[in-house]
Amino acid sequence: MDKPEGRFEGKVVMITGAGSGIGAGCASRFLSEGARVAIIDREEDGLAQLTSGFPADRVYAVSGDCTDESVVTGFHQSATEKFRAVDILINNVGQSARERASEFHESQEDVWRFVLEVSLLATMRLSRLVVPQMRERGGRILNMSSDAAFAGDAGLVDYATAKMGIIGFTRSLARELAPFGVTVNAVAPGAIRTRAHDRVPAAVIDRIRQQTPVGFVGEPSDVAAAICFLASDEARFITGQTLLVDGGRWMI
Amino acid sequence: MTDAFAHRRIFVSGAANGIGLACVKRFVDAGASVACFDRDAEALERLSARSRESRLTLSCGDMTSTEEVERAMRKSVEAFGGIDGVVNAAGIDLLRSLEDTDDEDWRRIFAVNLDGPMRVCRAALPHLRAAGGGTIVNISSGAGLMPLKHRTAYSASKAGLQMFSKALAMEAADFGVRVNVVCPGAVETGLLRSSIDKAPDPQQAYEAVLARYALGRVAEPDEIAAAILWLSSSESSYVTGTALAVDGGRTFH
Repeated sequence: MDKPEGRFEGKVVMITGAGSGIGAGCASRFLSEGARVAIIDREEDGLAQLTSGFPADRVYAVSGDCTDESVVTGFHQSATEKFRAVDILINNVGQSARERASEFHESQEDVWRFVLEVSLLATMRLSRLVVPQMRERGGRILNMSSDAAFAGDAGLVDYATAKMGIIGFTRSLARELAPFGVTVNAVAPGAIRTRAHDRVPAAVIDRIRQQTPVGFVGEPSDVAAAICFLASDEARFITGQTLLVDGGRWMI
Repeated sequence: MTDAFAHRRIFVSGAANGIGLACVKRFVDAGASVACFDRDAEALERLSARSRESRLTLSCGDMTSTEEVERAMRKSVEAFGGIDGVVNAAGIDLLRSLEDTDDEDWRRIFAVNLDGPMRVCRAALPHLRAAGGGTIVNISSGAGLMPLKHRTAYSASKAGLQMFSKALAMEAADFGVRVNVVCPGAVETGLLRSSIDKAPDPQQAYEAVLARYALGRVAEPDEIAAAILWLSSSESSYVTGTALAVDGGRTFH
């Protein structure tokens, strides 16, 4: 199962927040396994890196903000016109807004709203756009939670709340779509080497590493491997689940 | 097929039937050497046809016997020069109210479903360490996450197996061994068939089973094996101490 060639040949995959980190890792993996991939991110640089290596009929990129409903709607419309209906949706976009984090009693409602918009509502909105066609054709929806949902995250109450919301959303949508051949699952990564991770203080990273039984910080490709498994035919009997990819840090 | 498991040497308990057998076939197709352990001599005999053409060892023995488990492990290590993967698929069911469950029933369920995998893991660990790392996948059950009526012993044994696996994941991580659990829902196996057939109204019992799962069906053994192989592969190298339910949507774990 080391990167079987062509596992996603002919599939249309949509990925949000694909310009860097886990989203970019997923995009490269799906592209390397034959999928046609539609990606969106606020930042053009990362998107350009992905599009440069593949022909235009394999990858379609839009730079835009997933918290803007009209951007998401436009992205969905143009991507399905360019390819066709989405087979696999990867709701990866999310942010902890760590630079604006504070203890809860001092937290600001505009930060809550931003974090919930980008880490939960963007997922719900794009899912609502793809579901009508998935109910007719089957499909896969993968949502990005976090081990912060289980472990809690002092100073990032809004983020952990949004990521637990992802789990409730995943389970409910899995029930609703099971009769239509659509599975809905979540992945909950632990500490993964991304740009957001690079902004975390070194002392915190050391503590995380000590709490992680495997003793190292994961790579975006580790999460992409789990996403691709759950998106594959191999995982057709798995639905409503949250798979932890965290080196054993939180064993629920 | 792929050669994703080339040079891997996997010990599979409960290898002769159901989920275990589906794993053996997949592992062989993916290039692994597989040590098959089962108490069902007849079913093992059927596997022996395959063993001539591929890399299989067959050991007949019981999960409840430390001696038989250790003997099978030694035989496998001698045949393959080591072991770097374990799948514990052996397990038994018991559909019985607690008032009708005697001490012997209770002990038998735990001896096979919990003590058995513990024995296999304990016997395998020195070899996994010697190999510089490896994988263990224990097959629990959705019933170990979310209870099933009239299955107190079964559910408790399968929940115990999960916590055993997680605790082991913590200590085994120190030497590069990942330990994970797969929790199947109802699977189309002899074990399910015999439970259904014992019900007063088998058809109604079967429909009640189907109704538990959001996908509205039971699994094929191969669908469980797919998850077991993924957790045994390098694809899941950052996943340990996890219980993955492959249950068509019942436990929502």
